[in-house]
Amino acid sequence: MIQTPAIQVIDVKRSFRSVKKESGFKGTVKLLINPEYVVHEALKGVSFSIQPGEFVGLIGANGAGKTTLLKILSGLIPPTSGQASVLGYLPFARELPFRKQISIVMGQKAQLWWDLPAIEAFDLLRALYQIPKDVYKKRVDELTQLLDVDKLLNTQIRRLSLGERMKMEVIGAIIHLPKVIFLDEPTIGLDVLAAQKLREFLKLHNQNEGATIILTSHNMDDISELCKRILLIKEGELIFDGNPDKLTNSNECQLRVKLGSEPSIEDISGMIGIAAQNTIKDEEDPTTYLMTVTRARVAEYLQKLLAHYTVNDIGIQEASLERVIQRIYQQ
Amino acid sequence: MNFSETYFAWTFQWKWAAIKNGMKNAVAYRGEFLIDLFSSAFVPAAIQFILWQAIFHNTGITTFAGMSYSELLGYTWTSILFTQIRGGDYDFSLIEMIRTGSLNNYLIRPVGIVEFTYFQGFGEKAPTLIFCMALGLIATIFSSITLPHLFMAMSLAFVGSIIHYFFGACLSVVAFYWENAFAVLMVKNMAVSLLSGELIPLSIIPLRYSWVWHSTPFYLYVFGPTQLALGKWNQAMWAQQMMIALAWLVFFWGLSRILWAHCIRRYQGIGG
Repeated sequence: MIQTPAIQVIDVKRSFRSVKKESGFKGTVKLLINPEYVVHEALKGVSFSIQPGEFVGLIGANGAGKTTLLKILSGLIPPTSGQASVLGYLPFARELPFRKQISIVMGQKAQLWWDLPAIEAFDLLRALYQIPKDVYKKRVDELTQLLDVDKLLNTQIRRLSLGERMKMEVIGAIIHLPKVIFLDEPTIGLDVLAAQKLREFLKLHNQNEGATIILTSHNMDDISELCKRILLIKEGELIFDGNPDKLTNSNECQLRVKLGSEPSIEDISGMIGIAAQNTIKDEEDPTTYLMTVTRARVAEYLQKLLAHYTVNDIGIQEASLERVIQRIYQQ
Repeated sequence: MNFSETYFAWTFQWKWAAIKNGMKNAVAYRGEFLIDLFSSAFVPAAIQFILWQAIFHNTGITTFAGMSYSELLGYTWTSILFTQIRGGDYDFSLIEMIRTGSLNNYLIRPVGIVEFTYFQGFGEKAPTLIFCMALGLIATIFSSITLPHLFMAMSLAFVGSIIHYFFGACLSVVAFYWENAFAVLMVKNMAVSLLSGELIPLSIIPLRYSWVWHSTPFYLYVFGPTQLALGKWNQAMWAQQMMIALAWLVFFWGLSRILWAHCIRRYQGIGG
């Protein structure tokens, strides 16, 4: 049976016009008298569709257009052209049933009321989303226990640590069980444990409630642990749409060698004939090098290494998602 | 479907929740709240007091524009009650949200942002309203203000405060174009201070210029309620002015909806 997509995006473009400010006093005067405008194309015709219940990672470098896309899908801004639909609604029409079924978390912006304890912010959300009292109470108990913040419900939001606040933000975003959730860098600034806890929680929520989730993150652990599909955006264009394994299972792999000496990255890369940007040193062991190489030429590279250096250990592993993405950004 | 599931019940519930939220916000910082409560009303009153002192004592006149010194002082003290009621500048919250992108938080909620901000702002101002009402009730014991006149005055001032907000909401759409509209709202507030009767009784303005304050709703915020409280306007006048106030209210409420629906297309949701 063919399912109706939860999200459909057809050739969506979005541009922003802003004033160009030149530096110095002259620039300030010019801005006042004769401002010059520049148009920035944030999205250049993006198309894709997402089925209900999918957990999709939206990745790209800073300024690639990820947040703009989320803003269009959540109805905050309209596209300049093209069409987006979420749960069958045009997002920017912001119809009441649409707004009751979606949610967005922006990691860099507080959405709960800063001066109020979390429980009071949740109480307000209960009224906004018309959640029956008994259901609400049970849900708050469950969610706060799952995220280990049940003892902080009566603490003002501004007094919470970043990780605790972000957990509260996520609870506030899903308390009405939205069918579509947009998460914009929810783990930004969180420590390893807090980020892991949040990831486990999101995974569980996606499985249990079947919510469609789009996640943007610069933390590839978020993407690789949670998303079976990624959308890779570069300079406003969608350049990859598929399973993350398709990116990492390409004809590239990571060659790991432990040497008896410490040559520079430039020397070792130049010697075997790869670009220096494809070689990094292991953070914990300066004699271990990680090189992203073409799988078919591994034997050739190894021969060169063995001929020039004392090689103490060799290993071959799949290229990490982070490294692949990093290389795509740099191209 | 039981009552609690109806649209009417829902709108009542979220509005009440927004008011409660605003009240909690207002008293989150007790010191700030108390200073705001006492200082903001007494500054305009002090200005008036010094002005009337200077005019009557330096020139030796006994009446000014038909009002005696004691009448002017009576106006000054009574107008404090209503100056505080109109004083909720929640429209500034709207321009701040547009400028910083925090409007995002509200646009995704299933409520109207302009209405929500009003109810939350009203909640923040509610303790002040209660305080003013209590002061007014005390005044009925120690002054010539009667209870019916106090209620008529309070009701007009209350409608005036809503007009004031929706007028500000209309102006705040400028922020969608200029990114900031702080100066626009400040100019509005200065005009309101002058034409609402907050700084001077409007009756001292020469008759040939009275059309200026008559053609705005601002006099309904402070001057009208003060006239009612002092017994200078009767019940019939209250009914007439209330009708005018409600007409202004419907006009600015409708206009704010139209302007916001149109201008929000310019919103860029900056940040994040």
